[in-house]
Amino acid sequence: MPLLFQLDDVGFRYEGISALRGLSLQIAEGESIALLGANGSGKSTLLRLLDALCFPTEGSLTFAGQRFTTELFHQDGFSHSFRRRVALVFQNPDVQLFNPTVFDEVAFGPLQLQWPKEQVRSRVMAALELMKIEHLCDRPPYRLSGGEKKRVALASVIVVEPEVLLLDEPTAALDPRSQSQIIDLIQDWKSSSKTVITATNQLEIVGDIASRIVVLEDGRVAASGTPAEILSNQELLLRANLVHAHRHSHGSYEHSHPHIHSHARHEH
Amino acid sequence: MHIPDGYLSPSTCATLYAGSVAGWYAALKRLKRSLLSRLVPLISVFAAFAFVVMMFNLPLPGGTTGHPVGVTVAAIVLGPSGAILAISIALAIQALFFGDGGITTLGANCFNMAIVGSLVAYASYRLIAAGAAIASKRRIAAAAVAGYLAINASAFVAAIELGIQPLLFHDAAGTPLYAPYPLSIALPAIMIGHLSFAGLAEAVISAGLVAYLEVADPKLLRKTSGITVGGEERLGAAQLTSAFPRRLWLAVALLMLVTPVGILATGKAWSEWSPVEFAANGSKAQVAAAATMSTATIPVGMQRLASLWTAPFPAYAPAFVKSAAFGYLLSAMFGVGFVLAVCLLAQHCLDRRRSAGHSL
Amino acid sequence: MNHRGFVAPTMMGFAQALSRPLMSEEIARRRGLLQALDPRVRVVGLLALVLADTFSRRLSIVLGLCALAVVIAVLSKVSIGTLAKRVWLIVLVFTGVIALPAIFVTPGDRMATLAGGSLHITRQGLTAAALLIARVETAVTFTTLLILCTPWAHVLKALHSFGLPNELTAMLAMTHRYVFLLVEAAGQMLESRQSRRVGRLTAGEERRLAARTVGVLLSKSIELSNDVYLAMQSRGFEGEVRVLSDFSMQPLDYAGLFAFLAASVAAVWIGR
Repeated sequence: MPLLFQLDDVGFRYEGISALRGLSLQIAEGESIALLGANGSGKSTLLRLLDALCFPTEGSLTFAGQRFTTELFHQDGFSHSFRRRVALVFQNPDVQLFNPTVFDEVAFGPLQLQWPKEQVRSRVMAALELMKIEHLCDRPPYRLSGGEKKRVALASVIVVEPEVLLLDEPTAALDPRSQSQIIDLIQDWKSSSKTVITATNQLEIVGDIASRIVVLEDGRVAASGTPAEILSNQELLLRANLVHAHRHSHGSYEHSHPHIHSHARHEH
Repeated sequence: MHIPDGYLSPSTCATLYAGSVAGWYAALKRLKRSLLSRLVPLISVFAAFAFVVMMFNLPLPGGTTGHPVGVTVAAIVLGPSGAILAISIALAIQALFFGDGGITTLGANCFNMAIVGSLVAYASYRLIAAGAAIASKRRIAAAAVAGYLAINASAFVAAIELGIQPLLFHDAAGTPLYAPYPLSIALPAIMIGHLSFAGLAEAVISAGLVAYLEVADPKLLRKTSGITVGGEERLGAAQLTSAFPRRLWLAVALLMLVTPVGILATGKAWSEWSPVEFAANGSKAQVAAAATMSTATIPVGMQRLASLWTAPFPAYAPAFVKSAAFGYLLSAMFGVGFVLAVCLLAQHCLDRRRSAGHSL
Repeated sequence: MNHRGFVAPTMMGFAQALSRPLMSEEIARRRGLLQALDPRVRVVGLLALVLADTFSRRLSIVLGLCALAVVIAVLSKVSIGTLAKRVWLIVLVFTGVIALPAIFVTPGDRMATLAGGSLHITRQGLTAAALLIARVETAVTFTTLLILCTPWAHVLKALHSFGLPNELTAMLAMTHRYVFLLVEAAGQMLESRQSRRVGRLTAGEERRLAARTVGVLLSKSIELSNDVYLAMQSRGFEGEVRVLSDFSMQPLDYAGLFAFLAASVAAVWIGR
């Protein structure tokens, strides 16, 4: 599969703090990747760089052969087509819900891309149906629950049918049902060959949503491999602060070892 | 000091709306020069922040409570143009969505609080804090004084607007149609409350906030600090320009609004007499006493030259304006506008001459 | 010393602000006169009536407009009890207190004398006070009806269709949306500090709490605005705000518009 993103020795500094340094990574079209890392490891920053919301202060980031610079995005055609092809879902949905109603929110993207009115309307309704939130059409965002907000946020990015989906901790702070809905959605995207990059620190779901795991530690890539390889590397996981080891009990027996807390999904 | 619907006449509302629209337009133009797109979310969130601040019931020294407006904080963090827009939007949301404050008087409230308030806050803060380091006590004091002055300036303008209502707008029987209290009552009544309470609330919040920011987030203070650091973009805004011309305009505007106060004085100003005063019985004696003459006789020169020039606006009131106060206001605006037009024309001609000289 | 204090009344104000949209949403869904009209007609019509109220020079006309407001309220299924409690009573108290001295202070024809000859009630004073109170009540009733019967998004779109610049429309929309977020955040901050403290705070401590809350709120606001800007850019925003409005006028709307404007013009003409 052709190469989509190529990062060579990328660094990003903001207000004197190095969020990323010496980061090299290659992402092919159609890959589904999980970015694992503790809070502060640079996952969110990396996603924003991939979405061209900020540009590297060192190194180079290429997308489909084009190197990201501010000049590139001032060119009329490129910015438009890029914004449609690549979508980012933020960790905090409130940041992404800034329109008066749910309908307006989902319509925002298509309107910015200057689609004709009728097309906007029909695509918005289709996206709402897909996320099963047609009944929330006229609701203002401050009257939505956490799960509903996430679904509106997702609807508002998938309405333009992007090829690349960047998800920043999509299941964080969600109830179990909403979590599994999101996981189902990611799996649908996987099977329809969309490129999906999910930043998360929930180890229990990475096997379901990704075919490759990239572990970030301190702003650089610490390891990259299949879920089986990475999840069995206890030392790596401990070092990257992805598992913990605290005393716990099995019946009347107490001990402590590195472990994760699984949720109820299981394999057959 | 939000003025509700019904207190101001339609013409007052319209005039102040016009003034506000001019202010908003000017602010938008200044901000457009920098990244307006970046500023849409910034000003919106700041307006929301100001709205929330207005709900704070602040305990004041002395045992009472007061509500701050937040205009000073806005002016210090965003600069005057951003503050004008942010506070205006907060007031608009209050009126249009929450039903607090009038809709016909939205223009007046925006003019008083968002425009006059922002400009006074910014100007006094810059003046008092000039040259001080970012994390200095002088800035905190400057914020407090700026807040106090801004609120009282807003209250003063509001008081004038309310106080001239009965003078200008009454029916044939003399019943005031809108705000019923003349300047002599409205001014002290409104100013006392603001000089003692409302001004303090704003001062406390502004000082407290600057003190907090100096420790927690000093970069937010950089925009209006007068200290330039490299080419770094702060909050996506343009460079600072001199506050002087704006202060000048503010002073002029205030002076214009205050001109009708002259009506309160009785009698004619010393030596501003015309043949009329010399002839009329009532004023004859006054003139004589003031000019220390035994009787008032028209000077020969005055008699000869009085008919040489008849002014378009005799006694500061065009013939069609019945009310003396409105005539004063109108004359003030006309006079200032005329002087402005002449100066702008002169500047334009000079600029043309200069650029023509350049290109040769 | 502080009979009202800082935290409790402020949080009460927050609760009130948060509950308003719920009330208005429910009323906007009822099948009444105002709700059946195009939002633009509602905005123009009710504003025209407020203007008529401001232009009228006679008490009788203002009272007539007040009656009209009540009729519209009833026809729009807005309960008079709610209006009375939430609007009329409050305005009466506030405006009444302001207007009362005018009865004695306004020069004119004396009607009665009180307090052993030192206080005179004048006819002009009585009229002025009545006029002010009636005007304010009527204007507030009309604007409250507009707000209760129209969802905020529709008010915005109506204003936009009248020519409000895109940037201002976007800013009004965003401000409104984030007011709720910030009110909640501020409320949570006050609540958590309140619960960590035993006993009443002194005035000085309350001022410091207020300043700190406002400071944290400010930093959060700036951070929020930065993130919102990124989210907007991510979906293609490049500086030009685009709004979708899809109002279309039906015959009923034209009739309603005509009725509103006719009533306003008549009121101004008769009351001039």
